[in-house]
Formats: sequence, C-alpha cells, structure tokens
Amino acid sequence: MEELFGLSMDIIMAVLLAVFLPVIFGVIVMAWRNRVMLKLGLRNIPRRKSQTALIIVGIMISTLIMAAAFGTGDSITFSIRKNAIDALGTIDEIIVSARASDSDTIGSFNYFPQQRYEQLKTELAGLESIDGLAPGIGEFAPTVNSRTSLSEGQMQITGVDPDSLTGFGLFHLQDGQVVRLETLGPNDALINEEAAEELDAVIGDELVAFVAGSSVTFRVQGVVDSGGLAGQGSTLLVRLDRAQEIFGREGQINSIAVSNLGGVFGGAELSDEVTDTLRVLFTDRVIAGQLISLLNNEKVLEQLAIMRSSLGEKMAADLETVANGLRDSNMTDAFIGALADEDVQEQILNAVNNAELADVERQASTLFAGLAEFRVLDIKKQVLDLADQAGSGVTSIFIVMGLFSIMVGVLLIFLIFVMLAAARRSEMGMARAVGAKQRHLIQMFIFEGTAYSIVSGAVGVALGLGASAVIVFVVNRIFQSGGSGAPENFTMFAHFEIRSAVVAYCLGMVITMGTVGISAYRVSRLNIVAAVRGLPPPITTSQTPFRNLLLAPLRAFADPVRLAASGVWSLATLKIMRGLGSLLLAVWATITLPVRFFASVFQAMWVPLSHGWLTVVMGALLTWLGMANDEAAPLRIGFSLVIIGAGLSIKTAYHRTGLRAEVGDRIAYTFMGVVTLVFWVVPFSALEAVFGTVEGGIEMFFISGIAMVAAAVWTVMYNADLLLRLLTFLTSPFGMLRPVLVTAVAYPMAAKFRTGLTLAMFALVIFTLIVMSILTEAFSSAVGDSDRVAGGWDIQASVNPNTPIDDIRLAIDAKPDLDNLDIASIGGYTTLPVEVRQVGADDQRWRFYAVRAADDQFLQETGANLKLMADGYDTPEDVWNAIREDSTLVVVDSLVVPSRQGFANDDIPFELEGLFYEDTTMKAIDIEVREPRTGQVISLKVIGVLDSLSDAFGELGIGMIASRQGLDDAIPFRIPTTTYRFKAADGVDIPTLSKDLESSFRENGMETDVLSDLVDDIASANRAFNYLFTSFMGLGLLVGIASLGVVSLRAVVERRQQIGVLRAIGYRRRMVQLSFLTESSFVVIMGVAIGVGLGTVISYNIVKEIQEDVETVRFAIPWIQIGVIVAIAYVFSLATTFLPARQASRIYPAEALRYE
Amino acid sequence: MPDPIIIASGIYKTYDTGTVKVNALQGVDLTVERGEMVAIMGPSGCGKTTMLNCLSGLDEIDSGQVLIDGVVLHDLPDDERSDYRARRMGFVFQLYNLLPVLSAIENVELPLLVSGVSPSESRRRSMEQLDLVGLTARAQHLPGELSGGQRQRVTIARALVNQPSIVWADEPTGDLDSETASEIMDLMCRLNVDNGQSFVMVTHSADVGDRAHRIVRMRDGMIVDDGNGRSKGS
Repeated sequence: MEELFGLSMDIIMAVLLAVFLPVIFGVIVMAWRNRVMLKLGLRNIPRRKSQTALIIVGIMISTLIMAAAFGTGDSITFSIRKNAIDALGTIDEIIVSARASDSDTIGSFNYFPQQRYEQLKTELAGLESIDGLAPGIGEFAPTVNSRTSLSEGQMQITGVDPDSLTGFGLFHLQDGQVVRLETLGPNDALINEEAAEELDAVIGDELVAFVAGSSVTFRVQGVVDSGGLAGQGSTLLVRLDRAQEIFGREGQINSIAVSNLGGVFGGAELSDEVTDTLRVLFTDRVIAGQLISLLNNEKVLEQLAIMRSSLGEKMAADLETVANGLRDSNMTDAFIGALADEDVQEQILNAVNNAELADVERQASTLFAGLAEFRVLDIKKQVLDLADQAGSGVTSIFIVMGLFSIMVGVLLIFLIFVMLAAARRSEMGMARAVGAKQRHLIQMFIFEGTAYSIVSGAVGVALGLGASAVIVFVVNRIFQSGGSGAPENFTMFAHFEIRSAVVAYCLGMVITMGTVGISAYRVSRLNIVAAVRGLPPPITTSQTPFRNLLLAPLRAFADPVRLAASGVWSLATLKIMRGLGSLLLAVWATITLPVRFFASVFQAMWVPLSHGWLTVVMGALLTWLGMANDEAAPLRIGFSLVIIGAGLSIKTAYHRTGLRAEVGDRIAYTFMGVVTLVFWVVPFSALEAVFGTVEGGIEMFFISGIAMVAAAVWTVMYNADLLLRLLTFLTSPFGMLRPVLVTAVAYPMAAKFRTGLTLAMFALVIFTLIVMSILTEAFSSAVGDSDRVAGGWDIQASVNPNTPIDDIRLAIDAKPDLDNLDIASIGGYTTLPVEVRQVGADDQRWRFYAVRAADDQFLQETGANLKLMADGYDTPEDVWNAIREDSTLVVVDSLVVPSRQGFANDDIPFELEGLFYEDTTMKAIDIEVREPRTGQVISLKVIGVLDSLSDAFGELGIGMIASRQGLDDAIPFRIPTTTYRFKAADGVDIPTLSKDLESSFRENGMETDVLSDLVDDIASANRAFNYLFTSFMGLGLLVGIASLGVVSLRAVVERRQQIGVLRAIGYRRRMVQLSFLTESSFVVIMGVAIGVGLGTVISYNIVKEIQEDVETVRFAIPWIQIGVIVAIAYVFSLATTFLPARQASRIYPAEALRYE
Repeated sequence: MPDPIIIASGIYKTYDTGTVKVNALQGVDLTVERGEMVAIMGPSGCGKTTMLNCLSGLDEIDSGQVLIDGVVLHDLPDDERSDYRARRMGFVFQLYNLLPVLSAIENVELPLLVSGVSPSESRRRSMEQLDLVGLTARAQHLPGELSGGQRQRVTIARALVNQPSIVWADEPTGDLDSETASEIMDLMCRLNVDNGQSFVMVTHSADVGDRAHRIVRMRDGMIVDDGNGRSKGS
C-alpha cells in the first residue's frame, strides 16, 4: 500500500516519526533530568498488576485498530498483486483490436491478420525494453472430459505460437519438467492446473471441445503450471495454427501478448515506456492531425492548463505535452503517445466539455475512437495500481469504522488518568506542599503514561496484525462460499509491511500520548490544602486579568522569537549551554504554536462561553454557515451549540437568583440534554421546513452518534436520583436488595464525571454495533428478496457464444432428461458491448455500456420492477409491451442513473443526464448506440429505469434491455442468445431442473444457477461482510469492558475502608460483592439501554430515508444479534467486575478498616 | 449478680507479614458485664484495637474463645457472624467511617436495612436516633458537609440505631477537640445509662478513661490491669 487518504505512506511515516521521536526524546530528557519524578511515576505500575493489565488493554485499542486496518490494507494489496502476478506471469501488456471493449483482454471476436504481428515484430526489433511478443488466439468453448464426464462450460482455448515464446519462459509440468509446444500434434493439448482440477483430467485423457456446432477431441499431453500464457482460469493450450484451424480463423489472431524486460516483477516498471511506444506505432497520424486542428483552440488550452493543477504528476505532464503539441501543431512521439492514452483522452474531453464546446467534444470523441489501430492494455501495471488503491481504500474504511472505538479509547485514557489522579490526590498535594511544581506532577503522569503507552502500543500492533490475519481468514471464507462478487480463485493472503507497523505504532502512540499529556495537565491542577486534607476541590475563578487573557494569543507568536533571540544572545556571549537550551525551547515553541494559540484563545473566551451567550452566538454563526453552504455538519453542530448555550444561560441566570444551585443545574443540564437529543433524533426531513435541504456524508453518522449519546448520558446523569428513587421503590419488597442498591447506586451517582464517561463509552460502542446490525439486516433482507431481484424467473443459464442453441424449446424436446412441460416459460438475451451517448447531453463522448438484446418471450414474461417510467406509460407491463412492439425503445438499469445522494457507479462510465434515481417521473430520453465492430449507429429511446434491486445491483446482468428484433435488423451479423432465464412449471423441483438443464446442454457450455440460491448467496455474502465490519467495530466493546474493569478495580481500592465499615455493620460477603456487581450492572444496563435505544431510532431514520430509493429495504430489528451483543457486553463487563468485587468481599473487616 | 455479656479467654493473635511476625495478643482474658462501659488503654501498638477487632468478630483469632451473650462468635459461619453484628452490635470509629456518598440519615438507616427492617420503619427509627444525638436538622447532609463532632454523632446514631447489646468504639474522640470530645462522651454515657448497653472503648485519652466504669490496661499484647474493682460514676 503506497497511499492513505491520498497521502504517500512514506510522507505519513516521516511526519509521524518527526512528531513521535522528538516527543519520546523529550520525555527521555525530562526523565533523565528529573529522576525523582520518574521514580514516582513508574513505581505505581508494578504495584497493581491487574490494574496495569487492564490499563494496557484499554490504551492499546487505538494502536490495535490502526494496525488491524493497515494489516488488512496491506494484505489486500499483497493479495491482489500476488494473484495478478501469478495469473499474468511474464505478460505485461496485451495488444488487442481497437474495437475490443475495456474488459476484453483476449480480444475474442475482434480478429486481425497475423501478418500485422510479423510487421510489428520487425518494427519493434530495436526496442530493448520488450523481450517478447507472442501472437495468440483466445476463445471460450465448452469442454468435456470423456473419461470422467466432467465438463467446463467456459474453457479458455488458447492458441500459442511455439516459435514466439522468447521472453515468456517455458511451460513447466507440475513435476517441474519442461514441456515444449513444438512436440504437440494437431490433436494434442496441454491443460493448466485449474482445467485439470475442474475436469479431473490426467495425461492421456481425451477432452472434447464444442466449437461452432462441431466437436474437436484433444488428448492431454501434460498439466502445466498456471499463469502467463498458460492462463489463470481453466485453460487448454494448443498450437496457434491448430487453434486458427478450429475456429476457422486461418492467418488471423485476436491478441498479442507483450513481455517487458525485467521478468515477472520488474516488467511493469517499463510498462509506461512500452505502452507509449506501442501507442505511437498504432496511431493513425492523419486522425491525429485532424485532432490537432480541432483542439488547437485557446479555450481548450486554457482549460487544460487549469486542470493540470488538480491532477496527478504523470497526467499533468501528459496534458502539458498534449497542450504543447496542439499549440505548436507538432506531432512528436511524446505527443502522439500522450494523445493515444485513453485516460489522457478522457481528460482532454473533460477540458473540451469545461470549455462548453459541445460540437468539438462530439467530433473529438468520434476521432479518438478511430485514432488507434490497436488498444494497448497495460494490464499488469493496472492491476498493480489497483492493488495499491484497493489496499488504501480498505485501510481508510477500516480506520473510519474504527473511529468510534478510537474515540472511546481516548476517553478511557482520560478516565484512567483522572482516576489515578483522584487516588493520588493527597500524595500529589504533599508533593506540591514540599516544593514540587505543577510541571513536576505533569511529568510524573507523563512518565507513567509513556510507560503504559510504549508497552500497550507494541501489544496493540501485534494484536492488530493478528486481527488483520483473522479478517483475511474470514474474508477468504466469505469468498469461498460465493456470492461476494470476488473473482474466481481469488485468495487473500495475510501480509503486512514494516512501514505500516511503524505508522500504526506511531499513530497510536501520538493519539495516546496526546491524550496522556492533556489528561496530565488537567489532573495536575489542584488546590494543595484541599488535596492534602482530602477535601473537595474549591470552586475557583480565574485570577488572570482579562487584559492578559486577551494578550495571551499574541504571546504565543512572540514566544519563539523571544526565545530564539535570547538563545542567540546567550551564544554570542559564550553561554553555550544556556543558548542551546533557549534555541531548543524556541523550536518547541514554534512547533506547539498552533496548539498554544488556540488554547489561549479558548481560555480568553472561556468565561463568556461558560456563561452561555457567546456559545449561543458561535452556535448561531455555525448554523448560518451550514445553511448557507447546505452542509449538515456545521448546521447540526451549530444548532446543538445554540441549545447548549441556552442551557448555560439558564444556569447562569438561575445562579444569580440565589436559589439552590443544584435545582438550577438540573433544569439547565436536563434542558440541554433533552432538547439536543430531540434535535438529533428527529429525522432531518422533518426539520427541512426550518433549515432547508442540506447535504451530509458518512461523517454525519459519527457526529450524530457522539452528539446523541452525549446528550442522553448528560440527561441520565443529571436525573439519575429520580431513577434511584424508582429503583428503591421497585425493590422495596426484596429486603436484602435494598441496602445493596442503596450503595450500588449512590457511589456511581456521587462520581458523576467518572460514571458519565464510562456510561458514554459503553453507550457509544453499543450504539455503533446496533446501527450496524440493524442496517445489515435491512439491506440483507432487501438484497435477499429473490422475486424482486430475479424478476420472477427461477433459473438463469449462460451458454457459450461459440456454441449457441438455435431454438431452445426444440432443443429441450430433443433432450431425453428434459420435458418442455416442466418449464412454464423461457426468455433469453445476449449481452453486447456497445458505445453509447445521450442526445443533447453535455457529455457527448461515446461511453462503453452494454445492451441486453432480449427475445420476445423474455420481454413478455419478465416481472422486473421499474423505478421510473416515461410519461405515457402507467405500468411496467405497458413499458415491456411497448419495447416488444417498438424495437427503438429500451429500459436502462439503475446503474446508469445518478443518485441525488451522490452514490456514483464507477464501473460503468455512461451516465444519463437530467434524471435522478429518486425522481418520480421521467420523460423519454433519446440516446445513440454504436456497435464498436461495425461502427453502425442506432438511435434508441429510454422509456424506463429498472429498480436498483433488479439483478442484484448488476450482479446478475448489466445493460439496457432492448428487443433483439431491432438489433438483429440493425447489426449485420448474427447475435446468438447467451443468457436464458427459465420459469419452472408449478410443482417442478427447481434445483433438479437446473441440474438437468446444465447436464443436457453440456455441449453448449451451459452453466445454470438457481436464482433464489444465487440471491441468497449474494445476501449472505453481504451479511457476512457486514458481520465482519460489525465485529471490527466491536473492538470498541473491549475498551468499554476494560474501562468498567478499571473503574471497578479502582473502586475496590478506594473504598477499602468503607467496605470494612459495611462488613462491620453487618453486610454479608455476598452483599458487598453484589453491591459492586450491581454498580457495574447499572452502568452497563444504562449504557446498553441508551445505545440500543438511540441506535434503533437512528437506524429507523436511516432506513426510512433509504426506503425513498429502495423501498424494499425494511426496518427490522435483529433481536438475536442484538441479544448476543448485549449478552457479550453484559457478561464480560460483569466478569471484569466480578474478580475485584470478590476480592473486596473476602477482606476481613478489621483488615479493611486498617487500610489507608 | 454478675451478668457477663463478653467472656474472652486465652486469646492469641499473631500478624505474619511474611518477613515480620507480630504477636499482637498473647493470651488475653477479659470479661465485660452487661451495661458496663469499659475503656481499654495502653501505649500505641500494645494491641488495643486488635483486641477490640478480635472480640467483636471483625478479625479472626489464632486461639482462645470469645463468648458474646453465650454465643461462640468465631465458630459462626461468616454470614451468621455478619447477621449477628448487624442485629446485636454497633461500631464507632475514630475517623467516623461514614459512607461519603450517603446522607446522614441514609448512613444511620443502613444497619436497619441490612437487618431487614422495612424502609419506612428504618427511616422513622433513624430520624429518632438522629434526634437523640441532636442532628435532625442535618439529616439530609452528606458527611463532607458536617463538622468532625457532627460526623461522630452520626456514627454514634448509626451504632445505636439497631439497639445493640454492645457498642464497640475505637478512639471515639481521637479526632475531636476537647470540647467536642467531652460532648461526645456525655452523649455516650447518657445512652449507656438510658439504654443499658455495654460499651467497649479503645482510647488514649485519660478523660475518656475517667468516664468509663472500668479501665483495662494493656501492654505488649497482654492485659496488665483489668481494672476490676474500680468503679467510676458516669
């Protein structure tokens, strides 16, 4: 993985090391200079081993999540690279006909004369970066092993020229022996490992391949290692001349494989150079000249210059080359190479589009289509780039998903330090009394925190990488069970880079140490007398004059200059050590300038903020900003600040009345909590009348989760005494429980900050898990609606295009195992790659898309639901009937219709303009379709849009649906039906029918799927991925549980004397234990209640919103899963409390009373 | 006619810290009569608090026997011993040892709740007890909001709310000024006379000792003078 969030991993690592190493170095220097504080800081670590263990578990979570995310990303990058390298071997580029589509790497159908290869060989003879060129034929044909009767419907038959293998390596048999193609006879073949496995074939077996209505028999002469020319999927290798003969393509080939110098791994590095050279060779210079005259336009050049700044380095350089070539009308090789690059062409067309030159764009698009004779596919480089992108994409997703857990981890670190400080308050007071400064206390905590962080960071990285290995294992299981959309034979390998481990460690450490620093500063501020005597801290007001507060932000800027000047002066006066010290401090002051500046600004504004009015003003400004820019985040945060400000104003006003402060606090905080909660819980659509329509992304989930949980915890904590009264009332019949409850609720309520923080952590984790679970359920149930997905069909079958079935009904009659009466209806279609553009749209480029040319029966019987129908059509039946009658009408799938939510489909470059999936009506849209082989253009009209669930978001088929009759007439070659859909008659066993069809039409390469099974597979793979993500997010639960354990352990230590008193006045052991367990239960149950409640409400809102687009998404609560989550949370939390509680109950009362 | 409520004979107790062995009690014999107020005095570390803890069942003994109202306390299972403490004993500590998170009234009613008395009855009796120690007005205050003397009164109210036969007090005035200490002793002596409860007090204070019926003196884990024959007016 080379990049994360668009930043180079090298830069990320350098920055993190630049932050982390000086910090650690600073801590070491401090420790060396102040060994007493170091000792004081570290001596507590071994004293309480179980507490130390729990703290380490809690602190390590940030590092663990980072390491797991990086490990998973690295594994994905490595796996894609490995799979690609294994599959491609020494092949770096493939040359196919310019008419072949993007995905067609074997060039089937698009043949060209072999003579062209010979010319090319001569032309490229002097190019050192290429060490091999191999002409070939690749076609698919159904193949059966006569001995085992096993078949493979899509066997790739590859014709390889034995004389052109230089640079590609030799074919190796599985025992390592080399096998030579020259020795193969006309009916001999080699097969690769996959083919051998699929057909259970061994040397000597006879394989029958069905090609164009006849069959050819081959004898297996060897099983070769897969990869390179031997292919990755099931492949049968024959001599090129024999392949040409079989497919009736004498003197023709459909691809040329290119091997660059540098073998399997190094070849891709030369890919850019080779690709450019080849593109120059293949470019039609006449068309290039026409393009120069067309595009040499100031507006276009201006747009190209603007675009360069926002594009990557290579693209910017290519665009500059193009711009220079256009301006000077100079057709250099560099210019041609750049112009022939399809990605560059895309950007040029974008520039033309930005320049609003629709006609130029139209013409340029057509010229580009004819610019090159061949397409050069730099497949290895593309896959390797894709591997990096996929790796960093997955890492980003996991990090974003882990944000909640990281946030909870940060809260835990803060909580731990607040608790440790509370426990050591008196000794800290003593230390201050005998002369220690506040910074010494900060140092003491930093030493302790750093010690925990260093250990926990290392443990976190190790466990995180372990977690990524588990994720890889689970993903492999999901891939194996099918339905995931992953390529066949794709295997994930656990892998991580040292660099990622360093970044994860440093990132985790920076987060942890930052929190430790802030916590240490917070807890070191104490009143010495109050601390020594164990009195509550006095309420203090700022003694700093307001003028000084206002000047503090300016001082932040002045400090580095002052220190540097003092350093230089000291050096000049030969006070070397002092001078160096000042200079170092100046550097530190510069690095920390932003932090100190904002901290001092915040400090200056703290009083008016805490009084409420400034908070209201700032909130209102932020709300206005959100409304002005239609952005949800500032609006919602701003309005929440307004509510909080209003609450603080109530509090301030109440305090001025002189009435009881607690009452005022309760009113103010309850107001803030409840109103904020209501504001976030109400679906935003309900507030649109006030705030207008705003847009929010995935970040809103994170923000809303934190806001709602904070508001709920706030409300609960300020009203828990009411809850206590209710509990006391409810438990009054159970005599023994009463005293237990009295202490169990009183303690957490007395430590509101601690309890609130623990509660918030728990609630936040449960909240995320509940939302994930409910959304998973909602989507899985929608995807799993097989009738909706399959349009009422039962079985889908694909047939090899080389061996089509002429009349399926007649063919079924001829099969002894099949009966036409078992099949109620049969529909069929062929998927044709085409180019398409929308008439009158801004974008006038030809874009790849597909047409599903359907037969009459398919159009008549399909139950596929339509999301949008053009004016004049009332029902889906009207639309389908219209298409049957008028072959110029089509229905497009939802993948080419953009969504207002901004969800884009990157797989299909074509997109309709002027229409959104969320619309309720549409006008018919005119489009033009170009058949790439003939160049013939047909005008069509879009009259409907398929429901997005149809064909499982494209998993079961992609492309606009049209009547094949019209296309048969328009395209001067035969379109065979390649996909059939069957509806079984009532009472017929569908799986049996599916099997019978597959075996009866084996010679046609038929492969069948029971659609409901396929849909179930897709749904279950979808569910499995979501479970995986949910489990990953569940790591936060570990923090919640650890936090409760730490709180319980601290409670036992802190209350040891009080436990003695309780035992003295008659509490039984079990009652003491029960009191602690009830205390934890109170936090867990409240946390679970808040998490489940809010999670359910927000999921309901989300599902309702999604239902506007996909109405089959259903809100359903997965009770079992939620039950499991709650049970795990409860049982493990109580387990961490149980041990300290048990320990507490076993202490002799006298011993407990003696404890100080 | 003697009516002993506590009979302790041959009590031995050793603390073993692994490196050091401390013989805290070395064959202690003591008898306390019903309604008697006994003060245990002696230098620091002589075993006063240990004896109080061992006699009241808060701590285990190595050998010997303690009979409280005819019951061999150390033979009882832990739960029964806890119940026994809840119903028959009250404790007053030097550092008050109130639960800081509960109000005065809640602290006082805790032993009643443990004994299974109904919440309303507990509240009524606790208020009566607070009234007896003169703290009705402070019933809803947390210990942190009370003075040392007030806290000790709450502790006494808590110790007496169950009308126990015996009240154990470990340095009940140790943390108080002399005036407040005197007030507390007045209160304890009054309750002793009014309710006929036995008081066993550990103290350093000669004033406290003077208010007791009898002073038991200890040294090095042994009773050097059990004070029998002395009788001081309350």
